[in-house]
Amino acid sequence: MRHYKIMLIAASLSLSGCAGMDAQQLIKMGGNMADKVVAANKPVSEAEEIQIGHGIAANLLGAAPLSTNQRAQSYVNNVGRWVSLHTDRPNLPWQFGVLESADLNAFATPGGTIFITKGLLQHLHTESELAGVLAHEMVHVLSKHHLAALQKAANLNIASDLAGQALNAQNNPLMDKALQAGKEVYARGLDKDDEFEADRKGIVIATRAGYDPFGLPAVLQMLDSANAQDSSLALMFKTHPAPAARLSLLDKIMANNFDGYSAPTQTDARFNAAIATLK
Amino acid sequence: MKKVMVLLLLSCITLPAWADSIGYTVRATDIKQKPFSDASTLATLPEKSSVTIVQRMGGWVRISSGKGNGWVKMLNLRSSSTRKGDSGLQSLFNVGRSGSSGITVATGVRGLSSEDLQNAPANPAEYAKLAQFAVKANQAQQFAKKGKLQSQTLDFIPAQ
Repeated sequence: MRHYKIMLIAASLSLSGCAGMDAQQLIKMGGNMADKVVAANKPVSEAEEIQIGHGIAANLLGAAPLSTNQRAQSYVNNVGRWVSLHTDRPNLPWQFGVLESADLNAFATPGGTIFITKGLLQHLHTESELAGVLAHEMVHVLSKHHLAALQKAANLNIASDLAGQALNAQNNPLMDKALQAGKEVYARGLDKDDEFEADRKGIVIATRAGYDPFGLPAVLQMLDSANAQDSSLALMFKTHPAPAARLSLLDKIMANNFDGYSAPTQTDARFNAAIATLK
Repeated sequence: MKKVMVLLLLSCITLPAWADSIGYTVRATDIKQKPFSDASTLATLPEKSSVTIVQRMGGWVRISSGKGNGWVKMLNLRSSSTRKGDSGLQSLFNVGRSGSSGITVATGVRGLSSEDLQNAPANPAEYAKLAQFAVKANQAQQFAKKGKLQSQTLDFIPAQ
């Protein structure tokens, strides 16, 4: 810290713009800059992460509301919350929502709110497939993919730019900036490496929770066999690597490591019962 | 073992995943009599063979092909479609969309296109509803117990 200050003061002194400032001002300026440098290395706090996620989730719900099917909502929350207990952030306020949309898609928001569309849910066949999709989304939360992407998109450093003030959703221009960048990120998608990481780790998290490791690959096979021109897949295909490329990656890493696992049949009966209620 | 087999066979019946879709092999692939690596091999499909997928069970799919019927490893198959045009997946719930303009009328269900995501106003009231469906850790554990789910210990696999 002291080193930063001395270096920054020295740097400030060498700038022509410093003419006319007294030593006190220079020290103060150097100190403020140093605080920012230190803050830049500080991660966004969990509370900030959750608050940004809240704003993003409310925006997504503006595009598609929740399904009114309470049984499906509860079922997805049970599966998701169970899977979340097998991550390294089991105490996040994980919550799940089924979106009233015929599109096939799923979304993660920072802090642990995860959505799956009704259209995708209706195209799944087992609880293991659902667990695989939710685990994939959880990795985006765990690895803070969206948080990093929106800070990059807005050239924003939430932790340092905030400098200790509360990130109030109503009045903080920084929050507005973050959420605007968030909209762009969700419309454009994450880097493909983030998606591959979510697949690679997602299968392990679902397996840890006792599910069939091949649930997520089966969903990718379903997407691979679906018509790529179908409008209900447009955003999913725009924002993700091709299903065949994702399968090839899983093909490489799964090899024979996942042969000994299968999901209990009890999960199939309740999956079918819960999904059958979706209209 | 016998019990496991029965369970597995039962689970076959309930898994009509992408049934009757067409796949092709991405490498030479053995057709197994049963969905196990050590089951007897009925035939070997060369790379780029076309197969009809009948059902999935774990990492295996049951197929029919010119070279015989049996089980192959799921990840030896791809099924990228060559069909064109809207296949009708998009059906009932886009009624709010007016005509071909893609404009969403205010009373209808909005869509999840890139434009929708960028333009939709926030819906904090809908967000508030999420909490009523959220499940506590102990409830989720009960749910898992009812489904006979058992936690496994497993490390992440490094990127290749």
